[in-house]
Amino acid sequence: MKCTFTPSICSYCGTGCGVLFETIDGRLNSTIPMKSHPVSQGKLCIKGWNLHEHINSPMRLQKPMVKTFGRFINTSWDEAIQITADRFREIIDQYGPDSLGVLVSAKMSNEENYLAQKLARAVFGTNNVDHCARL
Amino acid sequence: MTNSINGIEKSNCIFIIGSNTTANHPLVSRRVMRAKEKGAKLIVADPRGIQLSQFADVAVRPKLGSDVALLNGMMHIIIENGWHDAAYIEERTEGYEEFAAAIRESTPEKTAEATGVDPEDLYRMAEAYGTAKAASLLYAMGITQHVTGVDNVKSCCNIAMLCGNVGIPGGGVNPLRGQNNVQGACDMGGLPNVFTGYQPVTDEKARAKFSKAWGCSLNAKPGLTITDMIPAILEGKLKGLYVIGENPKLSDPDWNHLNHALQELEFLVVQELFLSETAQVADVVFSASALAEKEGTFTNTERRCMKFEQAVKPLGDTLPDWDILARLGTAMGYPMHYNNAREIFDELSALTPSYAGMTYERLGYDGLQWPCPTPKHPGTVYMHKDTFSRGLGKFHPITYQPPAEKPDKEYPFSLTTGRMFAHFHTGTMTRVSPHLDIEQQDGYVEINPQDAGKMEVKNGDLLTICSRRGELDVPARLTNTIDPGTLFLPIHFGENPANILTSSDAFDPLAKIPEFKVSAVNVRKAQAEIVEKTVS
Amino acid sequence: MKKKVKKWLEDGTVDLFLGYKIDCGHPLPHCFTREELDDVDHLVVGETRYSLEKIATHLAKKDPNLKIGLLARDCNQRAINVLTIWHQLDKEKIFPLNVNCCPSPIKPQADCSYMSGETAASYKLQVGIDNAMDIESADAFSDREKNIRWMYEFQKCIKCYGCRNICPVCFCAECTLEHKDLIGPGRLPPQVPIFHLVRASHMVGRCIDCGLCEDACPMDIPLRLLYRKVNTITMDIFDYNTGESCEQSPLSLLGDKVTLSLKPM
Repeated sequence: MKCTFTPSICSYCGTGCGVLFETIDGRLNSTIPMKSHPVSQGKLCIKGWNLHEHINSPMRLQKPMVKTFGRFINTSWDEAIQITADRFREIIDQYGPDSLGVLVSAKMSNEENYLAQKLARAVFGTNNVDHCARL
Repeated sequence: MTNSINGIEKSNCIFIIGSNTTANHPLVSRRVMRAKEKGAKLIVADPRGIQLSQFADVAVRPKLGSDVALLNGMMHIIIENGWHDAAYIEERTEGYEEFAAAIRESTPEKTAEATGVDPEDLYRMAEAYGTAKAASLLYAMGITQHVTGVDNVKSCCNIAMLCGNVGIPGGGVNPLRGQNNVQGACDMGGLPNVFTGYQPVTDEKARAKFSKAWGCSLNAKPGLTITDMIPAILEGKLKGLYVIGENPKLSDPDWNHLNHALQELEFLVVQELFLSETAQVADVVFSASALAEKEGTFTNTERRCMKFEQAVKPLGDTLPDWDILARLGTAMGYPMHYNNAREIFDELSALTPSYAGMTYERLGYDGLQWPCPTPKHPGTVYMHKDTFSRGLGKFHPITYQPPAEKPDKEYPFSLTTGRMFAHFHTGTMTRVSPHLDIEQQDGYVEINPQDAGKMEVKNGDLLTICSRRGELDVPARLTNTIDPGTLFLPIHFGENPANILTSSDAFDPLAKIPEFKVSAVNVRKAQAEIVEKTVS
Repeated sequence: MKKKVKKWLEDGTVDLFLGYKIDCGHPLPHCFTREELDDVDHLVVGETRYSLEKIATHLAKKDPNLKIGLLARDCNQRAINVLTIWHQLDKEKIFPLNVNCCPSPIKPQADCSYMSGETAASYKLQVGIDNAMDIESADAFSDREKNIRWMYEFQKCIKCYGCRNICPVCFCAECTLEHKDLIGPGRLPPQVPIFHLVRASHMVGRCIDCGLCEDACPMDIPLRLLYRKVNTITMDIFDYNTGESCEQSPLSLLGDKVTLSLKPM
């Protein structure tokens, strides 16, 4: 049996409380407040305490999907990526780069946000990048 | 936040306006209570009676959208009584004379008329804030989600500068960010007009720098905000949309309008953990890995960039967002090859002056607060210590403007929206969480017992609420924490989505933030209508 | 100490050992195993306290035969006793490595120096309850004043359930605090004082006075004092000192009949 405690940051609001994910045999078991964290000092709110639950949810998507004739079909990553790349390329070719938009996420990491806007600006060629800070 | 979360405890006066802190930023409210217990004064201005109101020295319930009037009114009293910090204004700011002249208009009587706040309470608020050695102002979406969002924020800055509260420990203008990495998303250039670290896309130097780093030419035209994208879709200008970890179908204003727009898109890609309302209408759905399944950094509301680690393997056939993005870029002919998030961090920190001194090693689990420009820089606990970003702090004379929609004969109620303590945003993550779901399983609308009494509505009875955009049914929750004539609807529940009622036309002209916090609505008992229909 | 842990792991006395390890300057709980024996060199005691015995209950649920070693202060020892009484841990399979609690002279109970770092703030002293107060002074207030002061503390509650979640001896599959007919859900603060008093009543004969609840409370509610008070009642009436031994609690008449199913995660 293997049991680990992995430091993470709560993703439920902008406070940035420190948590530990307790895993047993590779599965999330609970969320524990990180006692020595400078922001949260070993305390959490109700959402933080249950942070692992949404990750363990049986409702999680497990495979990329493509809609064909109005229905979602599970597919492989290669295919999903290729279909998307082709369609975006077609739209750019037909209507220009500013006909695409990217909504990045305030829930993604810095690295991922950086890459998302890089994709929009360097690959799509548009500055149509925004996220939900306003909402 | 210009200051830090733990710095709140050092404050002598905390002024909370438009933030239900115990529900939405509970671990910030901890610091507020600790400051209060150490003897700080607490002022709360919120149209609802919030938990912290009970502990406040002064708690007022201004009318929805009257924040500018309230702040101007406070500043009027502060100047009249000489509580402003003349030396600070002289040394650190500009535009004071013009501003002070404009403030003279905002007499307590006029303020009372606009805000509904008793002049005596207003005086006590002004006194508490104006005479405190270090006063900290906290706000959240109650300030920003208005047609006058920018004016509201500027007014918050005005009052903080007026009393010399910016650039000192325990002071500051402190917006509380609603999502874990809103700060980071902005810092990383997730905005239509700037690259990382707020380097404008219109700036030739910045463009040249990124062009060189990325090896491609770059578009100089600022892009569309989310608020502009919807009409652009309807006008046929925007054809494809890539939505990552967001659920605009629930979070954006005017649900019917947006729904229509999403149907108009030629191609919609959604990257998600769950089959959210938005993902359901997508053409392609990318299954993304969740928080515990990847590593990376988040930047919290106090600008603290912190590392998180991978705890478990990605579920099923999911990939971390960065991996999906890199694969897509590569498939489109722009090679993006990264072995891990750390490599991306090193690339971005080299391009972002405020992050330049950060590395994964330095961040540790305590993180670093930007600006952190060099490898030895300790990070910045509070900003604008000796000077503002633009040099001198500028006072902006702001005139009060009422919200876009005022109650009228047809729509006599004012509706405001927000979150409740056990759920988060559109509920995609929290409603599948058993311990959070048990706390609140269905949507509800808060209504004053007086109003409910007139309609003979009891707790749990279904109400029909309609606005100029649409209507929905939702169970009533009777509470005195909301004034007669006002309703509060939480935004988490897809079965009665608050944004059926809100307007997409009413938004701040500069920030493009929709006015979620005020809509004119009408309300009636739902069953009664059904009965009438069957009778007739 | 490290030698002993290594020996235990090597000779199979324990399958794994729960202790602490420093990571980026933070003492974090860590599970030491036979496979990574060298790791034990990094074992620290540290001042930080996590409920290692609660983690042990999680592990024991997955594999009841697992032999678990752990660092145990006095409070951990008491928790292990209570968890044994309530069939959450099998004492035969738990191997506590005793560590000294704190620099202060240790009494059998209620003298952990961990909590007494902070002097209560002025306003709290005026209207609330000082966390460092002893039971006698807290009892000395008039009934009216007691009520006002405790209600002030309870009103601050943000219903995080941290007191319950962190509690080493809280393990019920269904928690009364989430029973909507008893305590109305969905509101802040939770119904006071019932939320806190229901929890307090459930702590009778259970609370081992470790103070983790108070330590986890974002609002600094003096929970430890409250539960200490309820435990003095069991002490006075039944002469039962919770956690001192594996003797059944006087309130556990139903104990043998109640089946304690696994808590869903």
